[in-house]
Amino acid sequence: MSLRTFILGLSASFGIAWLAVIVVPYFKMRDMAPIQLSEEADGKTGIFYPKRAGRVADGALVYAENGCYLCHTQVIRPTYAGNDLYRADWAGLKEDADRGDTRRETNAFDFTYEKFAQIGVTRLGPDLSNIGRRVESLYAPKADPAKWLYAHLYNPRYRPELRASACPSYRFLFVEQTIKGSRSLDALPFGGTETTELVPTSEAKALISYLLSLKKDQPVPAALNFSPAKKDG
Amino acid sequence: MSSDSIPNPTQDALLRSSIDRSLRHPVMFFMTSGAAWLAVSIILGIISSAKVHSPHFLDGSAWLTYGRVFPAHINALVYGWGFQAAFAVIIWLMARLSRQECRSAGIILTAGHIWNLAVSMGVIGILSGNGTGMPWMEFPSFTWPVLLASYFMIVVWSFIQFRVRPEGHVYISQWYILAAMVWFPWIFLTANLLLNCFPGHPLMGAGINAWYKSGLIFLFFTPVGLGTAYYLAPKVSGRPIHSYSLAKLGFWSLTIIAPWAGMQKLAGAPIPYFLPYFGAAATVMMFIPAACAAANILRTAFFSKDAVAESPSLRFSIAGVISLVVMGAAALILNLPGSTLKLTQFSIAGYGFELLSLYAFFSFVMFGAIYFIVPRITRREWLSRRLITMHFFFSIYGIMAVAVVALFAGLEQGSAQESWQLPWMNAAVTTRPYAWFATIAWCFILFSNLFFFLHLALMWLRLGRRSSHPTLLVSSHGSSPHGSEGDIDNTGADHAAAH
Repeated sequence: MSLRTFILGLSASFGIAWLAVIVVPYFKMRDMAPIQLSEEADGKTGIFYPKRAGRVADGALVYAENGCYLCHTQVIRPTYAGNDLYRADWAGLKEDADRGDTRRETNAFDFTYEKFAQIGVTRLGPDLSNIGRRVESLYAPKADPAKWLYAHLYNPRYRPELRASACPSYRFLFVEQTIKGSRSLDALPFGGTETTELVPTSEAKALISYLLSLKKDQPVPAALNFSPAKKDG
Repeated sequence: MSSDSIPNPTQDALLRSSIDRSLRHPVMFFMTSGAAWLAVSIILGIISSAKVHSPHFLDGSAWLTYGRVFPAHINALVYGWGFQAAFAVIIWLMARLSRQECRSAGIILTAGHIWNLAVSMGVIGILSGNGTGMPWMEFPSFTWPVLLASYFMIVVWSFIQFRVRPEGHVYISQWYILAAMVWFPWIFLTANLLLNCFPGHPLMGAGINAWYKSGLIFLFFTPVGLGTAYYLAPKVSGRPIHSYSLAKLGFWSLTIIAPWAGMQKLAGAPIPYFLPYFGAAATVMMFIPAACAAANILRTAFFSKDAVAESPSLRFSIAGVISLVVMGAAALILNLPGSTLKLTQFSIAGYGFELLSLYAFFSFVMFGAIYFIVPRITRREWLSRRLITMHFFFSIYGIMAVAVVALFAGLEQGSAQESWQLPWMNAAVTTRPYAWFATIAWCFILFSNLFFFLHLALMWLRLGRRSSHPTLLVSSHGSSPHGSEGDIDNTGADHAAAH
């Protein structure tokens, strides 16, 4: 076998796989067709446009730089690939006051405005696909959800039910500042002295804004809804 | 496969000695700086692993937060140690097997320094909070063109040496090394261009990243490790390769199967459904090339049981090849779609598998190669049998702990994660014992490598023994495991009055 044949063999065996699993899917997914809404199934026409608010790009950067993806995933697998959908709060809410069961699997539109989908490496912590929804509706239903997350970020073991958490403290995303006049609206409920308070830095604010934007249980068009029997609109 | 086509043994010894001399500085540079990065990586590994079960350990500092220390650790292990050990072996093996002196040592050395600079900038970049957040590609994005350029400056000479080699046999080692040399830039360029320069759909980005990780393991570290083991086993045991057709089967099955692997990490994510299934199928089938190559190498080495007992090179590389079988079995058992894949997909078994491939298989073979090559290029023998034995046994304890993590953690942690009726904290706590195993593994690996670092540093300072008897693990000086070629090549050259 000459070197030419050898290199050709290598290139062919590698190149076919490379085209089939990288190049073609890359171009196909880059130009994903928008989903047309239909009057009878969705009650309106036009195209589906996923809603998302908050400092997504900024916050995703802080999320990436501090390695959140190492312990937290952002994917709700369909039931053939795992039991994520069954958990009462991961995939949405089991009993939402307005919409009933909002749980659904992740779809390709859930990562809008992000450069890289942080699917995650290991589940040492819970899935974060719906952390924004969970904090707003379950953990801090009557309080400011951002403040709940600030306190959690500063000390993940602050709340008794989370004593066993192994999440690192992100104290370095907070600064202690002198209170001038009234206390800052974002100040942590603990820490500081008579004259000082702990407040989040701009990075912490971006991260929390991003986490609160993670509400991947919004209604989807009929074409993407894999459990239409739930009638969750 | 040593010297059947060479008529004159003296000339042959002279040639080998001059090849070794021409490569002394680059090879020693890659080995020592690789070992230094291994030390850095082990320390970062202990810190990050301890944080998984003891979150208060070195808590609250930005530079030492888990999310930065862990990527710094794994990237230092891959690009600092893994690649540099691979470079040392690639340039030395290719020169020896192509019977060409290296005429570009200066350029290789310069490129090696640039590679090290880029890795340093990358690790500092991650620790200072400028990582990209893409597993195994966390170095800030300015580093990748530098790494790629220096890679070409390092290995292109080996390709040229192969081109101008005297006509004749192509060794199995050369197949593997050529393949790794071709595949790596292709994978590296694809992943970096598509993720850093032309980002497409964010989910496809995650898929390409998973494929990249798998590609580095199966298409770079595996072939380099196998190429080296295919050199050491017959060379040290003095026997020809057991079966040439089995070697062919092992090689071509690797080239056909491995490029499809990787995307099973995205099973259940909204990417085209065939991608995770192809990835899982390919990863499961990786058992075939692993088993073929391992059976062949082990059969070759165990022709000479004395050599396996006596030679540090052979003992390390045989342990590495046995780990390859465990790694192949882990790939087979842990990635079955529908049963085990959903358990291991997001479990600590992923890290266990990476350590199994990077340390238990690849690094062990590299240690074997280092114990073989360093005496030849420094013309000194290793100082102490005891240091080598300590290095070997404590590393074995380390990899046994790693194997426990790889094989059992995923299944148990995954089952806990799948028990959706129980609170999440239940699954989170299940991981802790295995996190302890990972920390213990790193502690053993650190302890074992202290002996290795000390020993290598002494050799680097040219304080090795001046002797014509190789340092063996058994005290009898009766027969040499290096076969009829004599004890050490440079002795032959000296005796033949090389200069």
